[in-house]
Amino acid sequence: MSASSARRSPGRPGWVGWMPWAALAVVVGVALGVGSTHGGPPATVAERANAIDALVRCPSCDGISVADSSASTAVAIRQVVLTRVRAGQTDAQIDSFLVSRYGPGILLRPPVQGWTAWVWLAPPAVLAGAVVGLVAVLWRRRSRAPAPVSADDRALVQRALAERAGAGRAGSEVVTAP
Amino acid sequence: MTQTEGATARPELRRRHTARWVAGVILVVGAALVALLATSPPQSATEVDTPLVGQAAPDIAGATLGGGSFDLAALRGRWVVVNFFASWCPPCQQEEPELVAFAYAHRSPGDAALVGVVFDDAASSAHSFMQSTGASWPAVIDPDGQLALNYGVRGPPETFIVAPDGTVVVHLDGPVTAASLDHWLVLAKQGRS
Amino acid sequence: MNAALGRSGVLLALAASVAGVAVIAYGLARKRTDLARTARVYAGLVLAGAVVATVAMQRALITHDFSLAFVAANNSRSTPLLYTITGMWSALAGSILLWGLILAGYIVAMVWRFRRQAADPLVAWATLVTLVVAAFFFGLMAGPADPFATVTGPVPGNGLGPNVLLQDNPLVAFHPPLLYLGFVGFTIPFAFAVASLVTGRIGEGWQVATRRWTLFAWGFLTVGIVLGAWWSYQVLGWGGFWAWDPVENASFLPWLCATAYLHSVMVQERRGLLRVWNLSLVIATFCLTILGTFLTRSGVITSVHAFSDSDIGPLLLGFFGVVLAGGVGLIAWRGDRLRSPGGIDSVVSREGAFLVNNLLFVLFAFVVLLGTVFPLLYEAFRGQQVTVGAPYFNAMTLPIGLALLLLMAIGPALPWRKTTASTLRDRLTVPAWVGALVIVACVAGGVRGLAPLGAFGLGAFAAAANARQLVLSARGARRSGAGAWRGLVGRANGGMVVHLGVVVIAVALAAATSFGHRGEVTLRPGQVAFSDGHRIELVRLAFVRTPARTATEALVMVDGHGPLRPAVSQFGANTEAVGTPAIESSLEDDVYLTVDALPAAPGGPVTIGVTVQPLVAWLWGGGVLLVLGALLAAVPGRRRRPTDPVSAPVPAGETGDPGGGSGDAGPPRPVVVAPAPGRSPVGTEARGDDEHAPEPVPARSP
Repeated sequence: MSASSARRSPGRPGWVGWMPWAALAVVVGVALGVGSTHGGPPATVAERANAIDALVRCPSCDGISVADSSASTAVAIRQVVLTRVRAGQTDAQIDSFLVSRYGPGILLRPPVQGWTAWVWLAPPAVLAGAVVGLVAVLWRRRSRAPAPVSADDRALVQRALAERAGAGRAGSEVVTAP
Repeated sequence: MTQTEGATARPELRRRHTARWVAGVILVVGAALVALLATSPPQSATEVDTPLVGQAAPDIAGATLGGGSFDLAALRGRWVVVNFFASWCPPCQQEEPELVAFAYAHRSPGDAALVGVVFDDAASSAHSFMQSTGASWPAVIDPDGQLALNYGVRGPPETFIVAPDGTVVVHLDGPVTAASLDHWLVLAKQGRS
Repeated sequence: MNAALGRSGVLLALAASVAGVAVIAYGLARKRTDLARTARVYAGLVLAGAVVATVAMQRALITHDFSLAFVAANNSRSTPLLYTITGMWSALAGSILLWGLILAGYIVAMVWRFRRQAADPLVAWATLVTLVVAAFFFGLMAGPADPFATVTGPVPGNGLGPNVLLQDNPLVAFHPPLLYLGFVGFTIPFAFAVASLVTGRIGEGWQVATRRWTLFAWGFLTVGIVLGAWWSYQVLGWGGFWAWDPVENASFLPWLCATAYLHSVMVQERRGLLRVWNLSLVIATFCLTILGTFLTRSGVITSVHAFSDSDIGPLLLGFFGVVLAGGVGLIAWRGDRLRSPGGIDSVVSREGAFLVNNLLFVLFAFVVLLGTVFPLLYEAFRGQQVTVGAPYFNAMTLPIGLALLLLMAIGPALPWRKTTASTLRDRLTVPAWVGALVIVACVAGGVRGLAPLGAFGLGAFAAAANARQLVLSARGARRSGAGAWRGLVGRANGGMVVHLGVVVIAVALAAATSFGHRGEVTLRPGQVAFSDGHRIELVRLAFVRTPARTATEALVMVDGHGPLRPAVSQFGANTEAVGTPAIESSLEDDVYLTVDALPAAPGGPVTIGVTVQPLVAWLWGGGVLLVLGALLAAVPGRRRRPTDPVSAPVPAGETGDPGGGSGDAGPPRPVVVAPAPGRSPVGTEARGDDEHAPEPVPARSP
């Protein structure tokens, strides 16, 4: 008898088997809850500047950020960012200053507003479309009646099981081949 | 299997064209992609569209290679060509004789002025580079790259043409020739009259 | 002499491939199998031509024959021997030659492997397709990308030498050839896919027969990509290993499709389903290798102005268009008529898991392709430049990666056809608790951030689930007398090892990117500074002058080990100086040193960039596991009988069991899965593997 039918016997409701998983969910939930809090002091000037640098493209390099590059243009931008962070400017102000000099291509992350929003929206849209398509296909299949089983099919299966039983495996029904 | 085929024959007819439709869509998208990749951008080889075009030219002030000092504001009222260069970049070496020719052609007072800005280079190297090519216009030292940043320079050589009222008229990326500079100057002057 | 020899080799290969195409086409049209059998001769001639051309090029490089324009541009008298040899693939024309050589080798291997079926029209079609591809690449070499073009004007006394970044590290000898072995390897499955579609015979075992080719190509591509990341880390000086730049993405796209294919082909093998989808994946993989070559070689993405510099760009693009149109057209023509009978019963099954797997991988590929091509799209339509950089890719691929980790945990425990939630629950309890405990331990240890915690937890879950499969498989193999080692080889078990490698890489990525820290210290010789818990001591500056390299090195001791030598180096004369980093690696973290600023005056302070990233060494270890798993998966398993059970026991009475009738009071019978219908001329489709590790049958109650 399988484990699930063991639980079917009276006195052990089916949901008991799920208790370890419920406990697991609680444990993980608590841990993640604690783990997602970023306690501690607010970001220092250097940390803020570094965070902004990581999102600005180095103008004379091949796609790496200003934070990662030691090119002269990157160093200059880091300096300006640091000065402006010290002066209390917001991230958006600093970004718009750099864009006013280099154009929108200076930011590594395409802006979410405007036409570039497409690059952010397209993947979730494709995912949604694919999931809907898959669900539709599977639903259509499920709502069809199951394929009728012919006598040939049954005979094939009996033969296969007999072969296996003939090889001495346990757990199968022994049926003489037709 | 024969029985199952019979049972699913009807739905089979309905789905018959799925692959064809999907293939059609992919073909259209693919053709668009190929067409896109096959066409080059509709810009001339060196003009760059940056936000600075049409804005006031950021100030250029500082020590020059020759030991003096320079201030762009002093040249207000004249057309100014600002050239960011370095001694180590081959296109800069390529355009230097052209700039010398341009400077000579416009040597009369009040005519278009030429200013260089050193981009990420040792002052001595830049100085000997200019001297060896016979360049005599002022070249401003940019020790911390802030001038280049203010002009949105990605890498030398880049050239800006500034109108007498101080606005940037055009931003050119790459080595220029005397002829192309004259051409742009003429266009710019026409655009302003 | 070298030029003449090389050019004749190229022309020989080109002529042989064109002649081969013509002869095979004629033989197919007239149904003359003797002509189809002569394909091996042409394949051999193509290889001969490629070898002659390669030998000529290497000879020219080694003897510094500067009469060849390629040698003059990519080699110099002071270039060391290793970089002279690797100079062949350090620029465009030579890399096409390498591609042609590897392609010729693959064609000969394919013709030899299928020599007994050479008269079969399907094999003939496949050979024809590969020869067409060969004709294209050798045609490129005969014309626009001629590696043997001679210099115009007087022969220079010395050449320019290879790109400075390509002289820095011996990995340049491995990364491009391995990458090409991967890219080019996908030509063979593609050829068979096209041949299957053209002949209409997609129900047989051809795709399965070429599965091992795809696996090898995938393995080489994986190694190539991992080595590329390692090389970029060691050489480029920015401390990272993956920048999502167009060249990297170009190599990653075919890898994603090939991985999806390696999974879904198992559904075809077992159930005969998804045949048309698998063909599409194979065709897409090959198309993406051509697109990738185009993106890399034409420079259309990195610098739009470079497009017009090379003539090869439009030709590659044209070839891509032809291959795409041909492949898609074939699928449109044949696809619906050759749909497999039967379907997927339940999403909660291994077929369902592979479907979701494919969905995720294709979505991943879409994201990467969109991000790579979007700047072009935007510039074409809006006229402005926009950058789609690492932050976009990281943000978009993080959820996909986490979902894939989860799937990696659940998938191997899922039986075929269908299962119940309780089965899954029982099998995954222990691995899930391992994952949960890892999360708790990390949080207790101070790790913060949902993304890294999620990656660590799901990674542990997946690792435990895959390890469980390996243990069960080894145990089962030992019990059945084959020896426990049998439980570690074969497709399924190799796959488990590959998954373990992926988990290790995912954990390393999460750790390195979330907790890496970059800092700078300014030191005079003899001074010490502390950065991120490491003791940095500058010993002194040193000057190095060898014929190949002039450098100013900073000798640095990290935590008392060393000295490490980050430097500013110049390779050859009159070249740009580049920063060369030095790395102190340990299992825990990597300390990455660069010289950011040399002193203005002698004895002055040196600015040293210090980047500390945890678990970077695990990335390379994970890569080793990936390769190991691929090798294990290539070992042929014992021939499994098609009627061996592969699904979980379903208790009697729970489902309408078509095989035995419901209401039976007998013991639970495994649902037998019949093999896919159709002839299998290359052996049974269900060729042995230990895919179904015998699950422990729950004990019966007395």
